[in-house]
Amino acid sequence: MSAGTAVVSRYVGLELRRTFRDLGFVIFGIGTPVLMYSIFTSVGDQDQAAGGWDVLAMVGMASYGALGAALTAGSAVAEDKANGWLRQLRVTPLTPAQVVAGRTLTGSLMVLPAVMAVLLTARLLNGVDLALWQWLALTGLLWLGSLPFTMLGIANGYLLSQQAANVTNVTCNLALALIGGLWFPLTEFPSGLAAVGEWTPGYLFARLGHDTVAGHAPGLVTVAGLAAWLLLFGAYAAHGYRRAGRRA
Amino acid sequence: MTTKQAGAPVVAFRGAVKDYGAVRAVDALDLEFTAGERVALLGRNGAGKSTSIALMLGLDEPTAGTVELFGGAPRDAVEGGRVGAMLQDFKPVSRITVGELVGFVGSAYPAPLPVAEVLELAGIAHLAKRRVEKLSGGQIQRVCFAVALAGDPDLLVLDEPTAALDVQARQEFWRSMRALTDRGKTVLFSTHYLEEADRNADRIVMIDRGRLIADGGSAEIKRTVGTGVVAFDAVDGTLPEGVAALPGVRTAEVRDGRVRLRTTDPDATTIGLVGLLTPRGLEVTQAGLEEAFLTLTSEASEASGAARTSGNPASVPAASASASAEKGFTR
Repeated sequence: MSAGTAVVSRYVGLELRRTFRDLGFVIFGIGTPVLMYSIFTSVGDQDQAAGGWDVLAMVGMASYGALGAALTAGSAVAEDKANGWLRQLRVTPLTPAQVVAGRTLTGSLMVLPAVMAVLLTARLLNGVDLALWQWLALTGLLWLGSLPFTMLGIANGYLLSQQAANVTNVTCNLALALIGGLWFPLTEFPSGLAAVGEWTPGYLFARLGHDTVAGHAPGLVTVAGLAAWLLLFGAYAAHGYRRAGRRA
Repeated sequence: MTTKQAGAPVVAFRGAVKDYGAVRAVDALDLEFTAGERVALLGRNGAGKSTSIALMLGLDEPTAGTVELFGGAPRDAVEGGRVGAMLQDFKPVSRITVGELVGFVGSAYPAPLPVAEVLELAGIAHLAKRRVEKLSGGQIQRVCFAVALAGDPDLLVLDEPTAALDVQARQEFWRSMRALTDRGKTVLFSTHYLEEADRNADRIVMIDRGRLIADGGSAEIKRTVGTGVVAFDAVDGTLPEGVAALPGVRTAEVRDGRVRLRTTDPDATTIGLVGLLTPRGLEVTQAGLEEAFLTLTSEASEASGAARTSGNPASVPAASASASAEKGFTR
């Protein structure tokens, strides 16, 4: 491991420690999707469970948790910009590239516990039964697939004030989750709205999971669509960094 | 990457200019600091101290001229771990302990000091396990000092390290500072407390409106300006004719209804004054750094508007003397 990699991993370690000491993140970021999953699958028509509702909701809520955690990472950037931590880092030997890489990696890693908590609840509470490879693929795909949202959150974090970044990221989280069918399947939506929803990043992201639990690899359209969103949000994050992060 | 040129000055400003839009924050600054110096960057709020420090740390690029650290670009020196800095307006980094913060920053440097030693130096060994955001203002400021020290850098830059501290906290801070400078580091700190500069630096660099107005030891600065002040009541609120030309007088002004003559020779000035008129409420005092500061900054403001007055600089024209009197009131 080179000295540069060691510095970045220590930085990520520090930021993760800060994240998991944030009770708000642990309760709302990780707890809310778990709670919503528990409620969604224990009330109402139990016959639906037989039709795979518990699996469907698991993918939806794990995706929702991932989305929220990824965006929250961006709000943390706004906090560190406001309290001068980003500026202080600029007068240490850490290079700007190391700081950006560390921040992105931290945001990305924050997604994992949110995803795993929902999967674990589904397994323990509802006895959802998947092959081992499916569990692993599901975790891995929802982790990697959340990168566009990490980028979106970080861009907002760089560009906006702490308050505004918080509100914007929470709004993005709710809007993308709703229109992407993470809470209620798009089949329940009016057809016009459903047609739009199918192209939103939240929907494409959750498709990675739905395809995995259905036992096949994600389709080309899903992957290409998500890659396009990654490119767009990545460019937005680069713009945000150039505009505000470099001078933070 | 770290050593560009052996024997290069630690800090070198060469004709450095920094504009923010129409505002010139730093104006043609030429400065060199050598290893082991303790330098105070002294100036009022908005004088250009923080901008100069931002240029020095590579946080900002000069509009014109160059700023170098150890003979190379400031960024290279910072990334090479030769610089530790305490920035202004320190706010606590949340959800992290003092020990974790200092340990992390130190670990980014090639040869950090042991965390326990840093905390000891900054006087916060007992706070190692405390969360930074739960500390008091004075304690947080010491944490920032520890962060600047953590990597055992060759150059320490402290931007207004004691601003917003009470008198006792300030004294404690300077005690820790002195323990550190005994280790032979180059230290540069900015302050608007004249007394702090006088006591804790062996070189004082005064800037105003982005310009260098004085550079030297505090004794030299006092000598440049004049060692004494001769003051008396201004009978009709104006500067009596001839006083500015008295022996030894460097500047003359009317402030708060008093005529104030700054002089290099208070005795000769007083004798000359008594020959000229009958002063009421005569007072002869030694000039402190505050006096030096006032004189130098008012000279600088006169110099900027001096194009129209081409005369002996020792005899201050009445017009500019009253201008500096107004300045005295606004302070």
